[in-house]
Amino acid sequence: MSKGKLKKFCKKVVGFILQRKSLVQKAKKAKNRLLKREGDDRAESGTQGYESFSYGGVDPYMWEPQELGAVRSHLSDFKKHRAARIDHYVVEVNKLIIRLEKLTAFDRTNTESAKIRAIEKSVVPWVNDQDVPFCPDCGNKFSIRNRRHHCRLCGSIMCKKCMELISLPFANKLTSASKDSLSTHTSPSQSPNSVHGSRRGSISSVSSVSSVLDEKDDDRIRCCTHCKDTLLKREQQIDEKEHTPDIVKLYEKLRLCMEKVDQKAPEYIRMAASLNAGETTYSLEHAGDLRIEVQKVYELIDALSKKILTLGLNQDPPPHPNTLRLQRMIRYSATLFVQEKLLGLMSLPTREQFEELKKKRKQEMERKRILERQAALESQRRLKERQNDLVSRAANGEVVSLRGGPAPLRKAEGWLPLSGGQGQSEDSDPLLQQIHNITSFIRQARAAGRVDEVHTLQENLRQLQDEYDQQQTEKAIELSRRQAEEEDLQREQLQMLREREWEREREQFQAVSLHTRTRSLDFREIRPFQLEPGREPRTHLAYALDLGSSAVQSSAAPETPSPVSALEPVRVWSGPPAFGQDPLPQSTVPQQTSLNPFEDEDPSSPAADGSASPLASEPASGPSACILKEYNPFEEEEEEAVAGNPFTTPDSPAPNPFDEEDEHPYPRPSSPPVPGNPFEEATCTNPFEMDSDSGPEREEAIEEELLLQQIDNIKAYIFDAKQCGRLDEVELLTENLRELKRTLAKQKGTN
Amino acid sequence: MNVVFAVKQYVSKMIEDSGPGMKVLLMDKETTGIVSMVYTQSEILQKEVYLFERIDSQNREIMKHLKAICFLRPTKENVDYLIQELRRPKYSIYFIYFSNVISKSDVKSLAEADEQEVVAEVQEFYGDYIAVNPHLFSLNILGCCQGRNWDPAQLSRTTQGLTALLLSLKKCPMIRYQLSSESAKRLAECVKQVITKEYELFEFRRTEVPPLLLILDRCDDAITPLLNQWTYQAMVHELLGINNNRIDLSRVPGISKDLREVVLSAENDEFYANNMYLNFAEIGSNIKTLMEDFQKKKPKEQQKLESIADMKAFVENYPQFKKMSGTVSKHVTVVGELSRLVSERNLLEVSEVEQELACQNDHSSALQNVKRLLRNPKVTECDAARLVMLYALHYERHSSNSLPGLVMDLRNRGVSEKYRKLVSAVVEYGGKRVRGSDLFSPKDAVAITKQFLKGLKGVENVYTQHQPFLHETLDHLIKGKLKENLYPYLGPSTLRDRPQDIVVFIIGGVTYEEALTAYNLNRTTPGVRIVLGGTAVHNTKRKIRIL
Repeated sequence: MSKGKLKKFCKKVVGFILQRKSLVQKAKKAKNRLLKREGDDRAESGTQGYESFSYGGVDPYMWEPQELGAVRSHLSDFKKHRAARIDHYVVEVNKLIIRLEKLTAFDRTNTESAKIRAIEKSVVPWVNDQDVPFCPDCGNKFSIRNRRHHCRLCGSIMCKKCMELISLPFANKLTSASKDSLSTHTSPSQSPNSVHGSRRGSISSVSSVSSVLDEKDDDRIRCCTHCKDTLLKREQQIDEKEHTPDIVKLYEKLRLCMEKVDQKAPEYIRMAASLNAGETTYSLEHAGDLRIEVQKVYELIDALSKKILTLGLNQDPPPHPNTLRLQRMIRYSATLFVQEKLLGLMSLPTREQFEELKKKRKQEMERKRILERQAALESQRRLKERQNDLVSRAANGEVVSLRGGPAPLRKAEGWLPLSGGQGQSEDSDPLLQQIHNITSFIRQARAAGRVDEVHTLQENLRQLQDEYDQQQTEKAIELSRRQAEEEDLQREQLQMLREREWEREREQFQAVSLHTRTRSLDFREIRPFQLEPGREPRTHLAYALDLGSSAVQSSAAPETPSPVSALEPVRVWSGPPAFGQDPLPQSTVPQQTSLNPFEDEDPSSPAADGSASPLASEPASGPSACILKEYNPFEEEEEEAVAGNPFTTPDSPAPNPFDEEDEHPYPRPSSPPVPGNPFEEATCTNPFEMDSDSGPEREEAIEEELLLQQIDNIKAYIFDAKQCGRLDEVELLTENLRELKRTLAKQKGTN
Repeated sequence: MNVVFAVKQYVSKMIEDSGPGMKVLLMDKETTGIVSMVYTQSEILQKEVYLFERIDSQNREIMKHLKAICFLRPTKENVDYLIQELRRPKYSIYFIYFSNVISKSDVKSLAEADEQEVVAEVQEFYGDYIAVNPHLFSLNILGCCQGRNWDPAQLSRTTQGLTALLLSLKKCPMIRYQLSSESAKRLAECVKQVITKEYELFEFRRTEVPPLLLILDRCDDAITPLLNQWTYQAMVHELLGINNNRIDLSRVPGISKDLREVVLSAENDEFYANNMYLNFAEIGSNIKTLMEDFQKKKPKEQQKLESIADMKAFVENYPQFKKMSGTVSKHVTVVGELSRLVSERNLLEVSEVEQELACQNDHSSALQNVKRLLRNPKVTECDAARLVMLYALHYERHSSNSLPGLVMDLRNRGVSEKYRKLVSAVVEYGGKRVRGSDLFSPKDAVAITKQFLKGLKGVENVYTQHQPFLHETLDHLIKGKLKENLYPYLGPSTLRDRPQDIVVFIIGGVTYEEALTAYNLNRTTPGVRIVLGGTAVHNTKRKIRIL
């Protein structure tokens, strides 16, 4: 094996170990949680948190959507009653309009008044003067002075005061409009030329003296208030039908624009997402155009809604407050719309960026391809090696045993199951064997250029690997649980040991021999020591012991473990749970396995990075933070908590979220004599403390940088814990975090 | 069985039916409350409803370019207003929805008023109750009874509300009621009557197990509304008062203007939805997390917006940030105020004694504690009176009852007459004579063992030991063990299986503590869905007002 390969292998083993460790960690965490649960149970059972149940009944919020409840319509009833009424009303109106039409059908100005009268009388029979001694509207007695007037539309009598006049233009408007509208009117019993008014002149009344003596205003038609009212209403209806106010026009445009956005925006977002990923499905120009188009529509929406807002503001009688309110509301909803949709529009890459993205993607593809090719080459090489091998021990019959696996052999094509060449002793697991077989099939198929077969085989392989990974994880968890238990036992003993050790340590420290001692525990030296258990899986227990003892050593140092050490486990931890264990070099995750797990910082760092900056700036954060702090209820709470917080059970003060600072138990005899070193406390409550235990120590004052790093880490832990919904841990960690921040502030103060 | 959704569906349907175009929602006082519980303004704006008007407001302008959606209770006044409105229509077209059954004659008079044919729809949509939570509704009626009997107007309103609820959930239930309460029986009969009369409406798809309506009376458990609560929703209601999801914070010292009144609605406030049933300490830690999250998102002062990318990121995150900042400041203010009140009024101590009074049977220690607190100047008048009321309810018939002494103490303390009267009033209302069941001493062997075990274990949390009596009732109901001689069926038929869909109605009001109980039962019992309602949602103050 080449040197490089050896190195790679070593790294992998380290990764494997770390992987194991993280599993141990996980199991321990789970256990801690369980233990804690027991302690907390009583506090919790009284309150029953939101997350605490997941079985049994259903949260009312999760109930299946309620269908629309019962309804009952009265519309048909309503319409029936209305129709009766409307018929009556419509008939009335139509009658009036037809009469009006007749009254205005001739040239009034050039006709003698007597003739006009005759025509008028022929349109509607006039009521007899004698029958009406009083004005029916105002009740005044008719006399010589208070003369009778006839309504030309209905023939009734009223006094002059109660008389209304209809001008010719008004009449024309009504009659011309009704010609169009009547034909389209909804009511059934309508036809413009209905029977009304056909009985003209049937009652020939004596023309009254009063009427003869009327002044001449022939260009206007007299009528009673009732008829005029009806006509006015009719006019209003006509007006409304024809007139659409500005706001409606603008509003309709606005809605059109909104609809357009609803159509275009999703399309654009799809394009932008694809482009930002460096794909070339869509052209950048096209997307840019679409973006501009959509943005234009937004501008239009903005402009239109602004116009609606200011509509009629400088009119003389200012519009009704309700109109203004309507305009404001439309504007407001348009703003909401734009905010919601426009801000969802992601930006496009610039041309240069896009090129870069494309390049990156290409490189990625290239890399994949290269890796594939490498794998292929490797396999060929192995094939050769193996063939040599086979030749050397041809009589062994090993081939047969290899072929014995239940591989989905395609006998027609006859791919031979070839061994992976490496670490056959590990292949005791049938699944592993299977995986090996299939990988070799794939290689052969690829060499033969059968693409579709490669595909199906790869699919097969993936399934197998998943299965295997799962199995391994389970095993590992099982194993680590046992370890954790054992470790706990040991820890108790070690506590005492530690104490003794610490004392010795201090003596040594005074004897200035410390430096050499701590250096001896340097990480580089630890690594080979950790490698051992990886090589021999049987030694897990020993490993655990080692871990424990290293914990002793490290915590024996006067200073607390360096945050650096805490960094590493976290990296591995957030990686896929199985890759470190997969002993196959040609597994589907070649990039990851080949990478040094210690460099593999990326998966976990986003969380840390994201959270890091606000925190770092926290102590120095400006007034806005202070405002919030003014409201902070927890400061007050602390005092009360001492007085007797409601939610602590009488015998377990620990779960109280508010009072750790005041009455935090400090039961660590082994803690260094540095009074109130906050770091110490941080580690003691930290459920991840094992992470740091195996690391190297540092005796210098904690550097600010490291503190920041530690803060980042804890942030990441919190994030992780939150993701998994472990609220108690989050709690603890948050506490830690606060301690760290305080230390940081102190540091800053001293520097 | 989700009452919030049920009402919301109705409102959505109304808006949908009216088609596109600018709309105005025309409501009366009660329906305004009903709609506001299920829809927020911005939500309803998106559906083109831009104006909200009261039918009784005179100051409405003619706006023929608007469509009107009328959602009204079918009262005489509303019908009259509507008739006037239709005679001179202010809007182009009317979609009329009544929240309950309307008489044929009213429909006729409306039809005759509609001379201009502006009405396009007349329907009954049974959203005639306030939907507080998915499983909790209220009718917002304070003082529904006069003495032991119904106020007739309120009885009919309650019947309407309850039948509307059944219709909106599409349930035609069997009815059980609390025998010891005359009002419960009356209400049960009225509901039955409506169901019989409107049998066509109540024709729903039959379920295997018919739904059940259980009608209870508050006077059976007068204790629960008198206790201080420690879950978020209940506590806010107890200390600040929730009115149709609104909280008045104007009395909070140093409150900023835009926080004078805040809305707490689980429908669109995720934090509230997740925390409303948690207790105060948990809220504390959750709000801390919320603030930390917020700080993470907060644009930093020091962070200069140097590049365009920075600015872009800032702008893109801004609305989210702003929304979050609203939530954060709201909850921080509310929780801050709660904790201020708790310490100002010495509520922790008060609550502890309250719980002791409600749950334990140690007379001498209870008396001692009450006396001690009465001497404490920090305890408010109301709390002092409340303690004595609890004492009176529990030790009414105790051999060494020293109620007169306590009332004397109250007087010496300078507690006003108003509060002192309450003590006798509460005994009158919910004393032993009235109660159909025993609140304080366990009845059967199981309960005794349970209490004994509890005594051995120690109490989980001194502030939340009290379980509302409703819990036991519902528990028995679910298990099919609720005694028929105490809670008889109305009518001949009885339920043979265990009930699944249950509507519980409490005359005289529910509490949020009971809402929590129902919520927990819903979550823990598979297949059972409980909807709880009452004439109102109580806190101590409201309860006292009724007495």
